[in-house]
Amino acid sequence: MRCTSLFVLSSVLVLCAAAPSAAQQRETGSISGVVTDASIGRALAGARVGITGTQLGATTNADGRFTIASVPAGNYAVQVRMIGFSAQDRTVAVVNGQMATVNFQLSTRAVVLDEVVAVGYGTQKRGSLTGAVDQVGSQALENRPMANLTQGLQGVIPNVNIRLLDGRPTQAPRINIRGTTSIGQGGNALVLIDGVEGDPSMVNPNDIESITVLKDAASAAVYGARGAFGVLLINTKKPTRDGFSITYESQYGRRTPTVPAGYVTDGYTYAKMFNESFFNFEGTFPQNVNKTQTFSQQYLTEFEKRSKDPSLPRVSIGPDGQYVYYASTDWYGLLYKDQTPTTEQSLSVSRSTDKASFLISGRYLDQPGLLRYSSDDYRMLNMRATGTLQLFPWLQMNNNLIASNRKYFSPVNVGEGGGIWRNIADEGHISAPMLNDDGTLTWSGAYTVGDYYYGKNGSGLTRNLVRNTTGFTATLFDSTFKLNGDFSFQNTADDEKRRRVEIPYSRSPGVIEYLGTATNDLRNLRDKGGYLAGNIYGDYHGLFANKHFVNVVLGTNYEQSTFERLDVTRNGLIFPDAENINLALGQSITTGGNYEKWAILGGFYRANYNYDERYLLELNGRFDGSSKFPSSQRYAFFPSFSVGWRPSREKFWKIPESIISDLKFRGSYGSMGNGNINAYTFNELFNITKSGRILNGIQPQFTGAPAVLPDGLTWETVTSRNAGVDLEMLSGKLSFNGDVYSRRTTDMYTIGSTLPATFGATSPRGNYADMKTNGWEATLAWQDRFNLKARPFGYTVRLTLSDYTAKILKYNNPDRFLSDYYVGQTVGDIWGYVTEGFFTSDAEIAAHADQSLYRSHSSGKIQVGDIMLKDLNGDGKVNPGKNTAVDPGDRMVIGNITPRYTYGISLGSNYRNVFVSTFFQGVAKQDWYPSPESNAFWGQYNRPYGLVPSWQLKPGMIWSAENPNSFLPRYASRLSNNAAGILRQPQTKYVMDASYLRLKNLQVGYDLPARFSSRLGARATRLYVTGENLWTWSPLYKYADNIDVENATAPSDRQFVGNPNGVNPSGAFSDNSGDGYNYPMLRSFNVGATVTF
Amino acid sequence: MTHTMIRRQRLLLLLVAGVLAAGCDSLEQNPVATSTKDAVFGSESGLSLYANSFYNWMPDANNITQSESMTDYAARRDVPQFIRPGVYNPRVTDLTASGQYEVVTLGSNPNWQWGPLRSINYFLEGNVDADVPEKVRNNYSGIARFFRAWFYFEKVKRYGDVPWIDRPLAVTDSALYGGRDPRTLVMDKVLEDLDYAIANISATNEGSRSLITKDVALALKARVALFEGTFRKYHPEFGLQASADKWLNESANAAKVLMDSKRYSLYTGSGPTDSYRQVFVRDAPITQEVLLTNVQSTALAVRHQANWIFTSATTGVRFSFIRQFIHTYLNIDGTPFTSTAGYQTKTFQEETKNRDRRLSQTIRTPGYKRIQSGSQIPGPPAFTYTFTGYHPIKWSVDDVAMDGGSLNTNAVHLFRYAEVLLNFAEAKAELSQLTNADWALTVGALRGRAGITGGLSSLPTVVDPYLQSVYFPGISNPVILEIRRDRGIELAMEGLRFYDIVRWARGSLMEMEWRGIYVPQANTNIDLDENGTPDVNFMAVNIPTANRVAGVTYLLVTGTDFKLANGTFGELVWRNDIPRKWEQKNYLYPIPEGDLLTNPALKQNPGW
Repeated sequence: MRCTSLFVLSSVLVLCAAAPSAAQQRETGSISGVVTDASIGRALAGARVGITGTQLGATTNADGRFTIASVPAGNYAVQVRMIGFSAQDRTVAVVNGQMATVNFQLSTRAVVLDEVVAVGYGTQKRGSLTGAVDQVGSQALENRPMANLTQGLQGVIPNVNIRLLDGRPTQAPRINIRGTTSIGQGGNALVLIDGVEGDPSMVNPNDIESITVLKDAASAAVYGARGAFGVLLINTKKPTRDGFSITYESQYGRRTPTVPAGYVTDGYTYAKMFNESFFNFEGTFPQNVNKTQTFSQQYLTEFEKRSKDPSLPRVSIGPDGQYVYYASTDWYGLLYKDQTPTTEQSLSVSRSTDKASFLISGRYLDQPGLLRYSSDDYRMLNMRATGTLQLFPWLQMNNNLIASNRKYFSPVNVGEGGGIWRNIADEGHISAPMLNDDGTLTWSGAYTVGDYYYGKNGSGLTRNLVRNTTGFTATLFDSTFKLNGDFSFQNTADDEKRRRVEIPYSRSPGVIEYLGTATNDLRNLRDKGGYLAGNIYGDYHGLFANKHFVNVVLGTNYEQSTFERLDVTRNGLIFPDAENINLALGQSITTGGNYEKWAILGGFYRANYNYDERYLLELNGRFDGSSKFPSSQRYAFFPSFSVGWRPSREKFWKIPESIISDLKFRGSYGSMGNGNINAYTFNELFNITKSGRILNGIQPQFTGAPAVLPDGLTWETVTSRNAGVDLEMLSGKLSFNGDVYSRRTTDMYTIGSTLPATFGATSPRGNYADMKTNGWEATLAWQDRFNLKARPFGYTVRLTLSDYTAKILKYNNPDRFLSDYYVGQTVGDIWGYVTEGFFTSDAEIAAHADQSLYRSHSSGKIQVGDIMLKDLNGDGKVNPGKNTAVDPGDRMVIGNITPRYTYGISLGSNYRNVFVSTFFQGVAKQDWYPSPESNAFWGQYNRPYGLVPSWQLKPGMIWSAENPNSFLPRYASRLSNNAAGILRQPQTKYVMDASYLRLKNLQVGYDLPARFSSRLGARATRLYVTGENLWTWSPLYKYADNIDVENATAPSDRQFVGNPNGVNPSGAFSDNSGDGYNYPMLRSFNVGATVTF
Repeated sequence: MTHTMIRRQRLLLLLVAGVLAAGCDSLEQNPVATSTKDAVFGSESGLSLYANSFYNWMPDANNITQSESMTDYAARRDVPQFIRPGVYNPRVTDLTASGQYEVVTLGSNPNWQWGPLRSINYFLEGNVDADVPEKVRNNYSGIARFFRAWFYFEKVKRYGDVPWIDRPLAVTDSALYGGRDPRTLVMDKVLEDLDYAIANISATNEGSRSLITKDVALALKARVALFEGTFRKYHPEFGLQASADKWLNESANAAKVLMDSKRYSLYTGSGPTDSYRQVFVRDAPITQEVLLTNVQSTALAVRHQANWIFTSATTGVRFSFIRQFIHTYLNIDGTPFTSTAGYQTKTFQEETKNRDRRLSQTIRTPGYKRIQSGSQIPGPPAFTYTFTGYHPIKWSVDDVAMDGGSLNTNAVHLFRYAEVLLNFAEAKAELSQLTNADWALTVGALRGRAGITGGLSSLPTVVDPYLQSVYFPGISNPVILEIRRDRGIELAMEGLRFYDIVRWARGSLMEMEWRGIYVPQANTNIDLDENGTPDVNFMAVNIPTANRVAGVTYLLVTGTDFKLANGTFGELVWRNDIPRKWEQKNYLYPIPEGDLLTNPALKQNPGW
């Protein structure tokens, strides 16, 4: 921001300081009362009671009672709010030295229009919101077993899209709001925890009070360039307004994979199918099973004999003195435990007085890993201390300290370095055991699970996070103006200690060999993140003539982030259990470092005006500066506005409240810059790396040509339009919120069009592309209660549904090559051939169009049972044409990988002291074309020595002369893995339907009656059972029932490959392959108890 | 409100105003973890830092030892896709990925890949900082141009005509969409680059044999010019025969400079039975003979996998020599083995005796021993590895502990003096200028080191009918024939063979049947290394397990892929069930289809 703007702002504040004050000193009294549920007369604990226009307030205790002390004498409007109930206002007169009594009976309501919703730098009443804002309370997360908070957010809020890539406890994907953001710089939702950017996966889920999503430009504009693709505001719990409470919660559970591994584990069947698939493609018989077993036709005959006669030994010694195995090994059985336990303990203590309040909470989560050997144990500790101090009646100080510690062990495979799943597919031959009779590892074992069994290779990962926010709120000018300031720092430390040692194995009795000899090393990696943020903002509100409400927020924000890395690897461990780098004595020493710093400075405003809460107007904006842009492009201004109209508050509105109680139309428009880019994107960078070669006795450092930079870069612009309707019917029992939006991302910073290879570098990026994302979301909620045997039975239903599609409007690809984005493309489209069927006769093969580009046999020969691709354009050849959208040859769009119609269904009920709630989450439409290397799907159609998925052996799956209408073609390997393999070409028959419906959570609980609780000395006691991912339906499971549907579309695992933070320097998860080589999704089943004292 | 309160409130506002006015910096951030252009080009250490990157593209040890599996003399697990009729096409070009090893080139990727060239050109364009002395700049530009010459040499060998690009192209440069420049233009530029490198690289040689020097540039020039000269001479279809002699002269002259320098000589320190092999199994390169090598080190964990590749039944393609090539090794007296009566039916034990000593230093022969835990154990050809019986040992060491992984630390060479001598001899012979003295200095010296006693000092005068009929039917000059014989033998497995037969227009040698040792009778135990214990048995009928002798490898020779030429006796025949065909189009590779689509002006090579 230009310093002049700051100067103007500070001048305003100076003028304010100079202004005279009309405040007077007053005497005080107090207010107290009881809050009950109007329908059943029960006391309501936890309701918020506040005196309108002041900071004064209290929270009801277990008996529904509240007291507000030190209230200056006068007439007040007192308001009670509680989630799930309508707010209620009463007027009270407070007399000096006396206690005024006022009681409230609240009626239930699905959506509470008067509920306060957190928005950027403040709060707003839901009724007067005009932007696209959604909020859920802590109840969406209660009692749910989750390794981290991000996982729990999936599906809870419509169009807050979270794709869990696998079931690993550290899995914390980026959060997307409203679909495809930018195909250039990309961009995700900005996540703010208590107003400060943070990592939700490090937050204690029990600390969450509410989660707000700012979806459109109008509501996110105060966050400037970082909020271009929406903002997620996570607010943590504040100390209870009065009294003292201790809550203790304890959970125990167990976890298992959602789907069984599902591979053939009979060695002979495997070997026979290996032989068949190999021969059927190569035309010759195999001499070995990939690297680790020799193979011949005699061996197969011998295997058959031995598998029929269990008395024969499963190992013999071959002519070369090496072991010959006739085993049947269940590698996945060796890899995973049958189940693994989990424990969570949390404690929260809170105390408040009228001068000070505090809340201290802690959590301990322990999840031993699923892996049988080298268990990937996960442990997390959370601590939080927050409190306020009323320094003066007009000045409150607050502080919020959060500390977390997370540990995870991530094993690595040194044999080939790939992920364990891929390694099992490549070298974990069913016909080979993991161990020899003398206890040594086999060669297959050493490449796969045996490495874990040996138990020395892996990374210990620790993440520490400490953050603190100190702030103040000054209530000035007779409570019409509030000045807020806060300052935060956050330090994160990621520490990785990786050990890789060679693995001993034995191919001949008594002879030990070693695998992974290139990697006998220790690595210490330290990432240090430092973050500072400061905000100062003023908030003025006023009500004029009882109709004109005005609220203005004006402020400034500064943030800076530094990242520093130190990475040291040294080889030559003096013994394989060495843990400290002092014991690495080799000369291969790799050191690396990294440093990044960025800063942003912005001034922002929000101005609200409404007339009688009927006509609503909001103006938002921010003047933003970012160090990530070159000085000519550093500053930009992003304004937006939104409007609303509530016809239900018009005089002409005659529809009774029992039918339509509230109706609001909203609209917004705004334009923002996308600041989600890496620092130094605009600099020519000469990276320095250690050479793999020995030059003159050392491995020197080297640098090379930097990436090609284009000229004239500018911000990507994100323009969003939103229209919405909020409807409340049947006295609040039924509510509906819906939004439609359109988001245009223009001048996207994308890679240029594909250049001829002679350019010699990646085509430079530039502001080349435009895209439009259109979508909508809707929430329908129903809440009611009725009497069942004279007791109330309450139930709720909440349905959410959202959808989006993105289309490319401009792209630097004039010929519209399909290898790139192109104008008119719907993002996610799969281009492919039409599968006509399988060839049934030689005559048919001869008569069919020439499809020799694609192989069903290494020689190019086509046989009966092979796939027949349709010659769509009738030119006598099956080919990709010019590979353009204009001439795609015989291909057409055969599917789309974008998840469509994402939905959530929450059902809840309570009767007497029992409550039941369920949460379903799903995707109604999504296509998946299994990746070329997906062993889990293709089995030996991929590589001949791969595992055989059991489902392929079900009747009707694999082609044979007797079974010509099968799902899969003639059994032959390499069809998906060979560059010209016919299954590698996307085609209609194998586009899988990856839609699903998943029972994400089910919980049943019981609140102990008060008389039992009090015997324990407790105010309330709750017992519950809860489960996650208990049931899933997907059309995919008709075929690949061995792949969790959420894993299927996810990129393959990167963590166990040696990027334990899931992030590699060149960008996380860049390999979007969808091959099922993933940590399994987990189903969990927990029991828990919560006791409040 | 009290006055104190008001004062405090105003104080707070003033404080906030002060903080705001102070927050006006930090938006100017520059990278600190990467270097800048000025730092790279502004000092010698910066130039050296950049120049180190060029070395990354050189073929590494594994590239060289494995790329030889696509040669005429290699039998291997499968027939290379490149010569299987109908299998190879412009769409299927990345064969290294699927284990179909091919000759590797600069850039470690034989495809239409141009990244290294851009980096070199970027360097040449940027290396103009006057703060660095001109001589220093020219040295590094010389190194860059050496690599550019090498880069283009590999591109021309593979594709023929290619676009000549000598600057880092801008996105808008029309040259991106231009056609290919004729090989005559490109090769002239290559020569310019090499001459510049020779003139400007400051180091003549250096002790580690791992850096580019003037001498290495001379050696490359001799190699490049010989290729181009003979290619033009033996490929009349390109119509460039008139310029062949110019290139042959360039080659001979460059080689001559090195020969006259006396800085290099053949290593003979371990006698005729071991000197040759020592050159390939030592960790420290023998500097008298080696010009440039891939240095390995256990301490630095830089190792190659030659032992693994040349012993494993499962890893790699199981490279073995074929018998037709083994036949070209002369008798120890210098006469052709194939002139001996009944040579075709000599057993392995018989044919490996009294031959050019390079035979017993290239493959396992009787007497070869392996080392296990420090003591010698028998080392017969292992039929769990070899298909023909001619089991290579050139790059692999004797210790069996090195067999199971990437464990080798012996240096694998890129340029060796023996090649310089052979380049000189061949260029001179093609120019009909080779003298007896030249012969003695070159082929004679190489044969002499291998213990051969006859024909070392004067030019051969008799055509070996076997060599001529089997290998080079078009050649009637006995000198050229003998030079080609020795080139095959001396430089076997050093990564040069494929393009040797390409430049000689003898691609059809790739169609040769893969024949192995002569087996007088099936179902008989054979003691290959003559140590008293049988090693292998070729079964025409399956011998029951109970009747088998421990330690003997039993192999059925009744299949379609593996058999004896006459059913129950004769030469081993491996994999003649798969057709192979060398066509005229195979002399140049196809431009990958995707690249043609991006730039149609490139046009496809003929026949593809």
